[in-house]
Amino acid sequence: MLKNRIFQFLLLYLFFLVFLFLIKNIFGLSDYIIPSLSNIWQRAQDIYLYYLFDTKETFIIAVIGHIVSIIMAVIVASIGRIKTIIGSFIKACAYNIQAYPIVALAPIIFILLGDGYISRLLIASMICYFPLLLTFIGIFTEPVEDIEHFFNTTNKNNFILETKIRAFENINKIKTVIEGSATLAVVGTIVAEFISSQEGIGHSISIALSQSDLSKVLIALFMIGIFTSIYLLFLEYTSYLLMKHLKY
Amino acid sequence: MFLNCKNLSFKYNKTNQYIFKNIYFEITDSGFHSLFGPSGAGKSTLAKIIAGEIIQSSGEINYCNIKKVIYTYNQEKIPGWYNIKDHYIKVIDESKLNELFKIVKDFGMLQCLKSRYEQLSLGQKNRANLIRYLFQDFDLMIMDESLANVDEKTRQEIIYIIKQRFPDKSFLYISHNLQEVAKFCKEIYVIRNIHVNPQIKMVKGLDLMENCNINQDMLDARLLEILNA
Repeated sequence: MLKNRIFQFLLLYLFFLVFLFLIKNIFGLSDYIIPSLSNIWQRAQDIYLYYLFDTKETFIIAVIGHIVSIIMAVIVASIGRIKTIIGSFIKACAYNIQAYPIVALAPIIFILLGDGYISRLLIASMICYFPLLLTFIGIFTEPVEDIEHFFNTTNKNNFILETKIRAFENINKIKTVIEGSATLAVVGTIVAEFISSQEGIGHSISIALSQSDLSKVLIALFMIGIFTSIYLLFLEYTSYLLMKHLKY
Repeated sequence: MFLNCKNLSFKYNKTNQYIFKNIYFEITDSGFHSLFGPSGAGKSTLAKIIAGEIIQSSGEINYCNIKKVIYTYNQEKIPGWYNIKDHYIKVIDESKLNELFKIVKDFGMLQCLKSRYEQLSLGQKNRANLIRYLFQDFDLMIMDESLANVDEKTRQEIIYIIKQRFPDKSFLYISHNLQEVAKFCKEIYVIRNIHVNPQIKMVKGLDLMENCNINQDMLDARLLEILNA
């Protein structure tokens, strides 16, 4: 599994490099715009340790942000499915707010909370929160009639059982959205760091951009790709074990 | 009188087409009865109305000596995180567990107790579902094709067991099996075309018990009567 994921990423990365060098050769671009392979290799040797550290930091925030957003989405969706005014209000809010580009709010968050961990965590969480919330609301509000009928008829149903039934019956949807939103959490953290933070791989990319140093950007992309592959693999393996335990 | 429906009509919202109009029928006694009719005649709809799961467009239903009506259908599922035994223990009163395991054995489900719902065959799923309903409090149980996908011999045994173990309860069995209905049911309520008056006709079944001999002539006569209804 690990081999496959990493191999897929390396293959994509290689295609991307080939594409860049093709453009360089076709249009006769200088090393200043697209550096040579030896330049990239040299740069990688100089900075890989720093970038490794930065990427690790970014991923710690992305993973925490992802976990926070999953917990928040489950709680809010559970409240949102209650047929009360509060439930309807939360549902309406969730549908309306998700249409707003959260990244646009990032500057406000940085102004109010500074450029530390909390701001990055908040932006990472918010970016992956809405797809999760909408999925959870959809799942929790949709009755699984064929299972719930017995519990309704015999007055044995309750809020927790109902939520458990709906989550269990939609476990594949939940698995997919959690895996999908993991990438969003990483994107959110990098974007947050890119906009204003002083730390993380997003910040390093921002510096590389100001220096017009494509080698650094390519090395950062490589690091991000490897870390994302490992995180996705971890999620896939965890969900595989969970499914195995739940189903049989 | 046990259950009485007067001038019962039903049509789905936003349509003008009635499924049934001004029907009248009554179940006068406990026992194993049947609701019979072609697909789309409105058997399940009528069953759900009797069970209070949907509301009739007009008319009234009077329940006498019936406190709890249960409606069960053949596509119901058991939560997948339990095996069948654990589920039964969760949803059935502890005092009934001994009786439950006897029924489980009689229904040919003993080997399925450790399995999860998804691992069962269709017939086993239906039996597993029916068993848990039999141990709930009810006065009238409506079994909507609850024995579908179960082989004929086992189905027959199950009906005998139900009739023998629950003589004071009332059952309304929905099935498309004409022979089965004619043989084992006490009263068969045949739902006819909406333009035929009355829309529901009651035909007496043979109401056979275990070890009773079938009188073939009588059975043929009942089959004919149901078919002509």
